[in-house]
Amino acid sequence: MPRLSFQDLILRLQNFWAERGCMIETPLDVSVGAGTMHPATFLRVLGPEPWNVGYVQPSRRPADGRYGDNPFRLGKHYQFQVILKPSPLDVQELYLDSLRAIGLDLTRHDIRFEEDNWEAPTLGAWGVGWQILLDGMEISQFTYFQQAGGIDLAPISAELTYGLERITMFLARQSSIYDIEWGAGFGYGPVRKQEEYEFSKYYFEIANITTHWQLFDLYEREARLCLDEKLVLPAYEWTLKCSHVFNTLDARGAVSVTERVGVMKRVRDLAVACAHQYLASREALGFPLLKASNG
Amino acid sequence: MAEYFFELLTEEIPAWMLRIYYGSVLDKLKEHLQMMLLQVGGLSDVSKHVIVTSTPRRIVIFLPQIPNQELDQEHKVKGPPRKVAYDTSGNPTLALSGFLKKNSAETKDIINDGEYVQLRRKVSGRTIDEILRERIPQIIESLRWPKMMRWGRGEHSYIRPIHSIVSVLDGAHLPITIFGVASATTTVGHRTLAPQKIEVTSYNDYVTKLELARVIIDADRRGEVMAKRAQILSHEIGGTPSVDAAIWSQWQYLTEYPGVLRAEFERDYLALPEEVLVMVMRVHQKQLPIRTIDGKLTNSFLAVLDNDADPDGNAAYGNSFVTNARFADAKFFYETDRKRTLESRADQLAHLQFQEKLGNYLDKTERVMWLVDRLSGDSEAVRAAELSKMDLVTEMVKEFTELQGRVGGIYAREEGLAEKIWQSIYDQYLPQSTDDALPRSQTGAILSVADKIDSIAGFFRIDLKPTGSKDPFALRRAAQGIVQILLNRDKREVKVGIDGLIDLALAAWKLETNIGKPMPEFADDASVRSDLLAFFAERVRTLLEAPAYGFAYDEIAAAMEAGWASSLTDLVDRITAVKAMRNEPDFLSILDSAKRIANITSGQESSARIDPSKLESDVEKRLADLAAHVGEQIGEMIAERNYKRALETFAAMAPELETFFDEVMVMVEDEAVRRNRMALLHTVGNAVMKIADVTKIVVDRREYRP
Repeated sequence: MPRLSFQDLILRLQNFWAERGCMIETPLDVSVGAGTMHPATFLRVLGPEPWNVGYVQPSRRPADGRYGDNPFRLGKHYQFQVILKPSPLDVQELYLDSLRAIGLDLTRHDIRFEEDNWEAPTLGAWGVGWQILLDGMEISQFTYFQQAGGIDLAPISAELTYGLERITMFLARQSSIYDIEWGAGFGYGPVRKQEEYEFSKYYFEIANITTHWQLFDLYEREARLCLDEKLVLPAYEWTLKCSHVFNTLDARGAVSVTERVGVMKRVRDLAVACAHQYLASREALGFPLLKASNG
Repeated sequence: MAEYFFELLTEEIPAWMLRIYYGSVLDKLKEHLQMMLLQVGGLSDVSKHVIVTSTPRRIVIFLPQIPNQELDQEHKVKGPPRKVAYDTSGNPTLALSGFLKKNSAETKDIINDGEYVQLRRKVSGRTIDEILRERIPQIIESLRWPKMMRWGRGEHSYIRPIHSIVSVLDGAHLPITIFGVASATTTVGHRTLAPQKIEVTSYNDYVTKLELARVIIDADRRGEVMAKRAQILSHEIGGTPSVDAAIWSQWQYLTEYPGVLRAEFERDYLALPEEVLVMVMRVHQKQLPIRTIDGKLTNSFLAVLDNDADPDGNAAYGNSFVTNARFADAKFFYETDRKRTLESRADQLAHLQFQEKLGNYLDKTERVMWLVDRLSGDSEAVRAAELSKMDLVTEMVKEFTELQGRVGGIYAREEGLAEKIWQSIYDQYLPQSTDDALPRSQTGAILSVADKIDSIAGFFRIDLKPTGSKDPFALRRAAQGIVQILLNRDKREVKVGIDGLIDLALAAWKLETNIGKPMPEFADDASVRSDLLAFFAERVRTLLEAPAYGFAYDEIAAAMEAGWASSLTDLVDRITAVKAMRNEPDFLSILDSAKRIANITSGQESSARIDPSKLESDVEKRLADLAAHVGEQIGEMIAERNYKRALETFAAMAPELETFFDEVMVMVEDEAVRRNRMALLHTVGNAVMKIADVTKIVVDRREYRP
């Protein structure tokens, strides 16, 4: 059984996918709930341009925070995200090779691909795929993107998402995420527990609800301004901020069921507008990555 | 005779799509292959020559002992009319010779009968390889999977990307192409245990070699291997695996090389409600609990793995780990929930929206309470209704939504409420499908019906009806559930008709709710009512045609024509009578009489009464006397629901009716006489029309041999 630190896992995955022709991108410097929301996924999967990328993305889910008390749940966890566009026919084999690369002998573990389709209503996106079970535990999500921003995709991208803390904990046979080693002798608990506690307290108890509703309106207005000026990338960034403010309000218990539908629609409308404008802007530029890959 | 076999290697297909049952994708595949062999001809029972099986990654077809050649067929080709083909003296015209030339035929090929010249053409049957090469790709590509996807460049849509195809006819490669993938004679073994390429020459060779490469092709055999292993592992600790057909059928299609392991969760969790533990294990982890011989849950369970062994105990460790983590969550939810009573949650229900335009769950609760009161007049039933939706705001149901109802029932039980109350809450969503259990008590049945009809009527009022394949609120299933309950005749019988139920539900929507405002008016009630009746009629038909009842379409239609909405049990009695009668010789006379009456009286007003003074002939008078007498008898039989005897009695009038039609002219000039005769026929016809419109029954007259 390999005993990897959290950072060993990241480094091995980065190296593995870099060797398989992926560009290693850096995490998005905006709060997001998943690697999927990084423009390197959500926007790049649109249109005909090829794209192969891998990156770590800190993923914030305010409602999942447990004040650092729960051994399996985190308000912020780290994902390793891979996009292969178009999806190669051997994508499952590549994925299994990545597990071998982190030291797993697959003949001595149980690996299964079980149906788990993905849908993100606030992004107008859905895909078909599996959760990957290692010895009965979900360690990755595997999705063939079918639609994003309400747009049918072609070519199709394959998205692989590794849950980094879970995999590290599981391989080290530890019973709490806080027991894993980050790297260089630093423990995940000592490094992160304070942050988990403070942000849990903030998201659940302190965040000012009035301020956040105002922020939502302001961010939305700013996104609209950018869309009007045909600046899609800033528009998308403000959309992501709206989304995070919404998640904060939700964790704070400030969104009633009736309001929820309406607010989600506002985020979705922005995301869909961004997707359409991004596609148009890439087309206006003559799909630069398409040329790069042909030449 | 030839042997063909085929393998489609794909990425993992969802287990639930691979089961073969009536109407499933693989059942359709079998059907198409059987059709193909029927067209080829020469086989007495095509089903014996089509074998379809699957693993998560493979669809396998085996066609043993099929003909090498399609049977020759004879076609007729239609040419010009004889008048044109021959001149007046009978000599061939240019038109005929042109036709013959076009078909490269000679005069001897002409068939000499009919208005037109026809040619006899013999088409020689194609060889089996020609047929397979054309049909197999068509059949595979045209399969409609429940959820399709695109991949790569996105050109094709299928269940999962296709990797390779094996196509072998009598030991030789039969090249075909499916979605651009060309076939070969090689496949691969198990994904991780034996991923090497394998060359295959025949089906037997394929099965043997794949088994060595850790793939068991036959789904039934995988099931047997797992069942045996599950028994052994359970017996080792003095237990027995839970009976759970749904889990078993999934396991078969989750692995290529079936294995079962036993693992444990922490004993403390056994203090949680059993339903929660079982649900987490079976729905979330696809695990099977082990029970003691007397049925008690143990802290051991079985899980599936795609390997016949777990050499380092990794899979056992992983399964224990995940299950403990899930139970830790469940325990937290359970303890949080139990700090409040169900009753104290009403304020939370007021904030839980049922549907944007239809108000919140507290409003819904009040309507359901009113409906239950009207249907039962039982205060305990109303109490169950009052508490029925409270579990929707518990942490447990927020996390495990599939447990709605059951969680409320468990909490009510633990709060010490009466059995009738907690069981009704527990069972309120039953039945979920046609083969599901009904609520245990009559109270539970009434709560289930009230809840469902309220939702259905609400969504119809705001015009969110199911359309085509779209039924986002599962209203068809809800309506089916109501029909199942109303058809029930045991101690849980709910005595209300669909029409009465609809009227009550529409009235409930007019009530002033707790927040003091009546629900807004939407669509006009009369049109909603007729839409609802049509919607339910369709459900009734569907259910009565399903195997549990197995009535024929025409029997159902005939009886429904005579009314259905006021009592479904009465409807079933009438259908049963029609079904019993239809194969008896008497039935033809019932049918012929009813048809003659219907033909002659169609479009005529039916309410007219017979005026005895206008009855002219003896035949007429006799029929009128008989109709009055028999009508009365039939009326009594109908009142006693003795429908079969009523039909037999009606049949006895046939000879007299026959004489009437032979001797009496109905459509006479004298309007008064005509009307009176019409009224007489109506009276005769009405006697049977109260049971069923028998003219809707389709009969094959050859079946009746006097």
